[in-house]
Amino acid sequence: MKNRQPAYRAEHPSAFPPQDKGRSAQPADFKKRLPLALATVAALLALTACGGAVHADSAAGSSGEPISGGTLVYATGDTEPSCLDPIVGGGVPQALVATQYLEPLFFQDEDGEIAPWLAKSWKWSKDRLALDITVRQDVHFTDGQQLNAETIVKNVAYIKDPQTLSSTGILAVEKVASVEKISEFTARLHLSEPDNALLEHFAQVWVPIQSQKALARGAEANCLSPVGTGPFKVESWSKQQEVVLTRNEDYHTPAPTAGHTGPAYLEKIIWRFLPDHAARFAALQSDEVDVIDVLQPQNAVAAKADPALDTLIGSRPGHVVNLTLNTTEGAFTDVRVREAFVRSVDVDAALKSIFMSTVPRSNSVLSSITKFNRQNPEAYSTDVDKANRLLDEAGWTLRDAEGYRTKDGQRLSTSVIQNDSILIPVSVLEQFQHSAKAVGFELVISQEEPASFNAKRYAWDYGISPLYYTKNSPSVLNIVYDSAHIPSVIEGGYHANNNGLAGPAADAIDVALHKAAITGNETERGRLYAKAQKLIDAQYLSLPIFDQQTRLGFRSDVEGVKLLSPLGMPTFYDTWLDRS
Amino acid sequence: MSTDTNLSKTITDPEEAMTHSIQTTVLEGPAALEATRASKAAAHPSFTSGAWSTVSTLGPGIITPLVLLLGLIAAAVIPSVLAPSGPLEMNPAEAFTAPGTAHWFGTDESGRDVFSRVIHGARSSLLIGILATVIGLGLALVLGAVAGLGTRAVDFSVSRFLEVLFAFPGLLLALLVITILGPGVVTTTIAVGLSAAPGYARMIRSQVLSIRGSGYVEASIVQGKSRAFIIRHHILPNVAAPLFVLATLGVGQAIVWASSLSFLGLGATPPDPEWGSMLSLGRLYIGNAWWLTVFPGLFIVLSAATTTLLGHGIQRNLKDK
Repeated sequence: MKNRQPAYRAEHPSAFPPQDKGRSAQPADFKKRLPLALATVAALLALTACGGAVHADSAAGSSGEPISGGTLVYATGDTEPSCLDPIVGGGVPQALVATQYLEPLFFQDEDGEIAPWLAKSWKWSKDRLALDITVRQDVHFTDGQQLNAETIVKNVAYIKDPQTLSSTGILAVEKVASVEKISEFTARLHLSEPDNALLEHFAQVWVPIQSQKALARGAEANCLSPVGTGPFKVESWSKQQEVVLTRNEDYHTPAPTAGHTGPAYLEKIIWRFLPDHAARFAALQSDEVDVIDVLQPQNAVAAKADPALDTLIGSRPGHVVNLTLNTTEGAFTDVRVREAFVRSVDVDAALKSIFMSTVPRSNSVLSSITKFNRQNPEAYSTDVDKANRLLDEAGWTLRDAEGYRTKDGQRLSTSVIQNDSILIPVSVLEQFQHSAKAVGFELVISQEEPASFNAKRYAWDYGISPLYYTKNSPSVLNIVYDSAHIPSVIEGGYHANNNGLAGPAADAIDVALHKAAITGNETERGRLYAKAQKLIDAQYLSLPIFDQQTRLGFRSDVEGVKLLSPLGMPTFYDTWLDRS
Repeated sequence: MSTDTNLSKTITDPEEAMTHSIQTTVLEGPAALEATRASKAAAHPSFTSGAWSTVSTLGPGIITPLVLLLGLIAAAVIPSVLAPSGPLEMNPAEAFTAPGTAHWFGTDESGRDVFSRVIHGARSSLLIGILATVIGLGLALVLGAVAGLGTRAVDFSVSRFLEVLFAFPGLLLALLVITILGPGVVTTTIAVGLSAAPGYARMIRSQVLSIRGSGYVEASIVQGKSRAFIIRHHILPNVAAPLFVLATLGVGQAIVWASSLSFLGLGATPPDPEWGSMLSLGRLYIGNAWWLTVFPGLFIVLSAATTTLLGHGIQRNLKDK
């Protein structure tokens, strides 16, 4: 029961939320945070911890039959979405909550196999330029609307409408040129070119199927109360506080892996926003909340020692949590300098110390649960001698008074932007800064609020940016490495490719990725994605660090907490409270 | 709300409390200083006994914080002598070592020696505290003097301006300044200084007003002394003593404010050792490694308490005499 791992090993995705609202600074918070008060609290807590830190590791167990009813309080550490409809923008915070009330056409299991969900069946044309999707005839949205072919037409049009400001969804349906209704319950998607990841795209919560009547209200209204077919529905949203979800009493479309049928057990879910890691974990410990996410490694260690708490940690698919190097200017225009940086830092030491060995290292740009991922420890291992040699070769041979390398009077320096929502804490960057300095490379850390982090990223105003992109397909590489995605796709400047590589090397990567995306042969697809990864690794466009993870901590009397394939988002359909 | 009604009502605001008590001190100021000089002159038979006499005159209320402050100043001036290792020296293999003989205050998540970082952190904290207070007092002296010595219209304008600034809680004003100037140590110092200025300015204004209305100033006016003479010989010397008390008290507050801003990630930049940012990072590990928060927190408390106690000690000392 303790530290349950998800059964599946398939995939999970997530894009950094380009539209997400930053944490706002509230005067009341500052007073609470005064160091004096904290020091006192720290001292008190320390004393308490000394007295009773050791607990027996007894597992919590279910007392039997699921009990219907009750309210679950979920506290998320991710940023509060600015819109509850994951089509708009398209980030992990939206996917986390929307998984409870929106559902897609297809389901993708842990082995990557596609199964129907809201769809009943699908059929490709011979040239793979048309896909017929037939939907179930017994599905109604929570506003009473029936699901039909017209719903698909309206949903795709909504995603593609520039006014909607979709960034994740719009890239997922990039190849869909048009959609036509060919019968009451069958729609035909016409593609501009074959896309072997299309069904995977339609299996993610960023491309959900929503009530056409609800969509017709416009993005503003739909953001406040999206209407889907999920086990819960949006009751209310008090901004900067919580979203209240209530049970969908008519629910009858559970995912193939669900543990029961009919409505959910829980009557209500209160979805709170508690971005402060320490406060969130303290709320869980004190039973103020039932489930928290973004469980910090040190808190996972503490939770494992506490019989009242359980953890559920699972990898998400897609582009791993990484440091992406901006190749458009400065020293990183030179691949030798990029490799030197990667070789100079010690990722393993950081994971061992700061993450307390609780998070495994990734040596691949693709998550370990994403199909065709190619681990390449050779390319990403620490090698200080090689780093020094490469920098010498690149002409950074002189040193200034502080010991940093120089060339033509310029110091070898780059900036890294940081925000906790990207899961790389500043202490990891401090270690990298320290090891980079040893080879004469200056790394300036710039801590940003979510809004300024995004602004700098959109404006290419960084040397290095921590990033990840959740997606249940190796085609995530087409999103984040194809040079076609260097320009912004939506208003505001969001661009999916953040390395900015141009020239022959970028062309070679583009060609490999393109071939991999259009082939109809799965073996060939695997071979081509392996080739593309080899080319990407050789260019040192990013430093993979670890798989993205969904990290839940919860009270032991909360039963049936699960992560839903393929994105690894938590689902509370089977969840019940053992509090009889 | 006028300053005068503020002073006469029940005092709840600590700044008002200071104003009030300083006001009392100042009214007796010239006489008290004379008395101190006289007692010092009488008790100077030899250096050692004189020093001892001074110490006993000052009392433990001043001596204890003074000794602690000297310790902090030593940490700020010669950290490399006191700290066993550099503040940035990392050893990830030794991360989260509990306090012991090898590392008195333990190590942090990157294996850095917390004791060394706390010692090295004294410099930035004290420096920010002192410089911010100097900025705040300098500005306040100008504003307070202009209001106190100026015409009724000038006084009215400056006082209303100060009251507008007063409407913002100090830390909020500092945040506003940082939003405009951008984060960093220098801007933090300026922000804290500017935020403290309105409080000081109001106190200095009331000081100046009370001295201006005193008998010896009136006597000088009757004697035909110039305005400059009166400012130089009466106003400034009598504002100086309470100003010194204010400065000492202010440094403590400035250290806490600067730490608060660093705690929020607006002051010192990583990896610089600064107590506020150390506290902020350590807070994440509060359940696993208590020493990461307790020691920086303790030093913030210690430095703020030291300077505040010293300020109060001096204030009491002046008052007693």
